[in-house]
Amino acid sequence: MQMRSSSGDGKPPKKYYSARKKYCAFCKDKITLIDYKNHKNLENFISETGRIFPARVSGTCAYHQKQLSKAIKRARQMALLRFTEEKKRIT
Amino acid sequence: MNSRYEIGFIITPEVNEEEVKKIIESITATIKKANGLIENLDEWGRKKMAFPIKKNLEGYYVFIQTEVDGAIITTLERRLKQMEKVLRFITLRLDDKLKKSNKLTKKWAKIDKIRKKTLESRSEERESEDFIEKEEESDADEK
Repeated sequence: MQMRSSSGDGKPPKKYYSARKKYCAFCKDKITLIDYKNHKNLENFISETGRIFPARVSGTCAYHQKQLSKAIKRARQMALLRFTEEKKRIT
Repeated sequence: MNSRYEIGFIITPEVNEEEVKKIIESITATIKKANGLIENLDEWGRKKMAFPIKKNLEGYYVFIQTEVDGAIITTLERRLKQMEKVLRFITLRLDDKLKKSNKLTKKWAKIDKIRKKTLESRSEERESEDFIEKEEESDADEK
């Protein structure tokens, strides 16, 4: 028996695509100083519960991840970003 | 030694505009007294905060970028702590960061130059290769 795809056209099943390589968002735009004041940009790097994404998820380089984590913590101090937020449950 | 600093603070939303002006002026006056420079004064105005501070949902945001002596900053910090109308404040030194960022921009500019050069040389090589191929094709047609 040959493996067949679900569409039924006799072709072998499709291979899984390898994940696209992630690039540092700050290196791409050539930002050297991450400011804690533009909290709207920093919001992309925290989860909906307020946790900082690890570098392996967001793809930021080590140099920028260090600055980013510091900037997020400063923004939290000035009440621009949330510390934590409970997940909204659908009931 | 003067160096660059950034001061940011949140004022309670209950105060009116005159009181806000008073607070800002008291800070700027002390900086000017010590021969400091005020580079930028950012007033965001009333803004909703991410979480309540002392039961206040809103806050009046002010950011000041200056170039003063470090000793003045410590006195300013002490005074900001005593103010009851200031909910939160933050003071940062920008010198080291700016140095680092300037270094990086220079480094990246260098890398970009090298990249451009290699790309140009590559494209030239390709063009020459294409030319040779075309010549061979034309030779084959003639035969």
